[in-house]
Amino acid sequence: MTLEMIIPLLAATIVAGTPILYATLGEMITEKSGVLNLGVEGIMIVGGLTAFLVAHFTGSPSLAFFAAGAAGITTASLHGIVCLVFQGNQVVSGLALTILGTGFANYFGTSYVGLSAPGFQPMAVPLLADIPAIGPIFFQHDPLVYLTYILPPCLWLFFNNTRYGLGLRAVGEFPEAAAAAGLNARGYRWLGILGGGFFMGLGGAYLSLAYTHLWTNNLTAGRGWIAVALVIFAFWRPGRAVFGAYLFGGIMALQLRLQATGTQLPSSLLLMLPYGLTVFVLVLSSLGHRRTNEPAALGVNVEPAD
Amino acid sequence: MRIIKVMSVVLCSLGIAFAAMAKDMNVGFVYVSPIGDAGYSFAHDKGRLAVEEMDGVKTAYVESVKEGPDSERVILNMARKGYDIIFATSFGYMDPMLKVAKQFPNTVFMHCSGFKKAENMSNYFGRMYQARYLSGMVAGAMTKSKILGYVAAFPIPEVIRGINAFTLGAQAVNPEVSVRVVWTKTWYDPATEKEAAKSLLDAGADVIAQHQDSPGPQEAAQEKGVYSIGYNSDMSTFAPKSHLTAPVWNWAPYYKQIVNQVKEGTWKAESAWPGMDAGIVKLAPFGPMVPQDVQDTVTAKQAEIASGAFKVFSGPVKDQQGAVKIADGTVANDETLLGMTWFVEGVVGTTE
Amino acid sequence: MQRFRIIKRQERLGWRSCFILLTAIALALLLSAVMLVMRGTPPVEGILTLFKGAFGSRWAIEDSLIKAIPIFLCSLGVATAFRLQIWNIGAEGQFALGAIGATWAALTFPELPKPVLLSMMIGAACIAGGVWGMIPAILRQRLGTNEIIVTLMMNYIAILLLEYLVYGIWKDPASYGFPMTPMFSEQAIVGKIGTSGVNSGIFHCLVLGVLFWIFFTFTRTGFELKASGDSVRAARYAGIPYNYLVVLVMVLSGALAGWAGFLEASATINRLQPSIMVGYGYTAIVVAWLARLNPLNIAITSFLLAGLRVGVESLQLDMQVPAAFGGMIEGLILMTVLASGFFVHYKMVPVRKQ
Repeated sequence: MTLEMIIPLLAATIVAGTPILYATLGEMITEKSGVLNLGVEGIMIVGGLTAFLVAHFTGSPSLAFFAAGAAGITTASLHGIVCLVFQGNQVVSGLALTILGTGFANYFGTSYVGLSAPGFQPMAVPLLADIPAIGPIFFQHDPLVYLTYILPPCLWLFFNNTRYGLGLRAVGEFPEAAAAAGLNARGYRWLGILGGGFFMGLGGAYLSLAYTHLWTNNLTAGRGWIAVALVIFAFWRPGRAVFGAYLFGGIMALQLRLQATGTQLPSSLLLMLPYGLTVFVLVLSSLGHRRTNEPAALGVNVEPAD
Repeated sequence: MRIIKVMSVVLCSLGIAFAAMAKDMNVGFVYVSPIGDAGYSFAHDKGRLAVEEMDGVKTAYVESVKEGPDSERVILNMARKGYDIIFATSFGYMDPMLKVAKQFPNTVFMHCSGFKKAENMSNYFGRMYQARYLSGMVAGAMTKSKILGYVAAFPIPEVIRGINAFTLGAQAVNPEVSVRVVWTKTWYDPATEKEAAKSLLDAGADVIAQHQDSPGPQEAAQEKGVYSIGYNSDMSTFAPKSHLTAPVWNWAPYYKQIVNQVKEGTWKAESAWPGMDAGIVKLAPFGPMVPQDVQDTVTAKQAEIASGAFKVFSGPVKDQQGAVKIADGTVANDETLLGMTWFVEGVVGTTE
Repeated sequence: MQRFRIIKRQERLGWRSCFILLTAIALALLLSAVMLVMRGTPPVEGILTLFKGAFGSRWAIEDSLIKAIPIFLCSLGVATAFRLQIWNIGAEGQFALGAIGATWAALTFPELPKPVLLSMMIGAACIAGGVWGMIPAILRQRLGTNEIIVTLMMNYIAILLLEYLVYGIWKDPASYGFPMTPMFSEQAIVGKIGTSGVNSGIFHCLVLGVLFWIFFTFTRTGFELKASGDSVRAARYAGIPYNYLVVLVMVLSGALAGWAGFLEASATINRLQPSIMVGYGYTAIVVAWLARLNPLNIAITSFLLAGLRVGVESLQLDMQVPAAFGGMIEGLILMTVLASGFFVHYKMVPVRKQ
């Protein structure tokens, strides 16, 4: 592996990590409010199909991008209805949502396979793109990638410095106490679910608008599950989510490049790398410090008040 | 009088309807992936649609059928429902289909890509490697870096055979060419397949070929401003600036022929492996960037393959270690081709 | 507008909960019918075809039973862990390891007498699956790593390991390079019952289901598990060895999923090949919860879900509905049934106007 290959590798890392990052941040918002949503995969794929269809029929990628967010919100709201209104179990509801969303997208998407849609193209950032090494790695991508550069800090500010963010976390930690303090626990959880769904939908849109510009069944190919894992991996911190998503994307890109340069290792073993290393890094960081930041009330429903 | 007239008209039309129903043939198809995969199953389904157009034939399909127990159940159900011909289009359907075929001697079973047969069960496949060879010639003529990239699906003989034929084709016009292989272990994951293509581009490849169903690799090539070779069907709409050509399936003539044979009662179980001679595999139209002389060379070769004058796997062919696998002056038999698990010299990568 | 207050039910609902459940399923079917209409399929006929395909004939019922076997066993395993509130979503990987273990025994000792070989295969499957379940449990106890992420990642690793084996050292030389092991010897195959298509794996399910029930109802450990599942703190206070229990349930959980992998490899495929992985491990989680972790309910739910999957094939064949319809109807049923649980536990009382 030569130096000329390292810069494209890192650039590929950013792109491969981006859809996962959107979804991871979305799931993080949801989990911060104390709701576990295992339906990321289903929400992403509905977002991906919506984005593709809107782009195909209107010709506007930006409109498609927001439509995917709206589709994400709509799909996630089913999780809200089941868990917040009807007190359903969050693990099962999420799994059901994955099954439902994947089924829905493949059922209605079958007729649109093989078409193409306009999407986002790489757009170099003036000045920054010319910096050696840094430029090609970070600043020669499509606009949706740049959005993920500012998203995690914004989210961090939101969680730590805003009234709504703090309220969200309070509800995730101890909903009864938060309610006693006058916060609308149910309302904040809706905020968490819908806000999270928005970003999961965007993650799906990234796949059909920027990463590729087409639709096929099972477009997400398991990336939603990776996002669920990465939230835990990130200990519910936006900064670490960036690290996790790029680590995962990076190893995925690396194993393909190892093959391209003619390594003799069996491909099954190389493909195990991202998953094995994720566990390994999780174990390492668990060795370091035990405080994981997990919302205390994660997965526990708020009982309706009598 | 009038009533009788009406009655007779009704009876007549009923009779015609019954006759039509009696003649109606039911043809079932079993696919391993959703037809929405834009690739392999999609190509078979185009063949099914051509059969559906025929008079007195009705078709149905079941998609996303896993190999193993699920497929046995699906094939069995088709047989029970009285389907006259059943096409199963994935290798793993072979043993399940054989089991069912023994129970339903009056049904015609057609298995694609396997090697077992019975009284009422044929196996068939297309010599896609012939078209692969031609596409390799195009790639070999167009490359400047002398490195070709191949985004490969799963290390099974069908895929390996394709890579080898592609390499031999490229070497025929450009002896120093090497082909780099990346396995994605996917059939349709556009993002991963595009990423794999990019990794090949980063490794210096300037023509990308692929075995998966999604046009992801085509996009990667177009974005980098280099060339690409599609697969399954003409993928030029996805990457008009880079798409040189594509080896494509064309099942319609074969499927119609089988249905006609069964109708006329001339069908017999066989192992069929038709190729360019039967039009089962073709090369998609060349892109405008392919120079006329290259087009002419490839077209000439295509005629030689179709006429049987030229065989793709004729010796000497060496493997990656330089050992002679197909001796000089001999031609690999179908047995060797079906069980091919080694790469020819010039391929960089591993078959594991 | 009339306002309602939500009150927890004190009394048990009895037969009326059945009514709620049926209403939920009916709602899901109604929504599915709407989806059928949207793609131009006649809805009533579609739903009827689905049911006929799933339960409408002896064959259909047999097919659904065969498919229910692995779902039932995986689900039983998952339920074991869930009783202790351990989120094992790794049944998929444990299933794979079980199939690998069983295959190892079948390929290494093909000539042993049938009872011996089958027992060895079961043993190997349970050990392999159990170990795969034990790793996340130990990591959780020692390092506090989250079991959801570890079990999930280990699913991917297990499937790739299975692929590595069947593409590599276990590949059948006679398979023309296709990824599958040789066919198992006659002694390594769990046979069918009489002339039916159903394999005797169904008896394994029966025995294991009863054992599961006995374990949780009559043994001390089973009781401790239940108690710890309700409240970890109370359990620790009562001196229950919680850490040991976590490892125990994960091993049991993995062993049961492994057993399912053994049956699938031995009874239905008769060899190991990558297509053995069809997501039973994930289905199992849903089944376990819908069945409220009760073995009898798990059996019924597994059968119904298996039937749904079988029925969808008829729907495809007869009416050309895309395969994905199956996932959609499954998801809809799950969500409505889940939501309907609310009416079993709570009631809405009209608020009188002041």
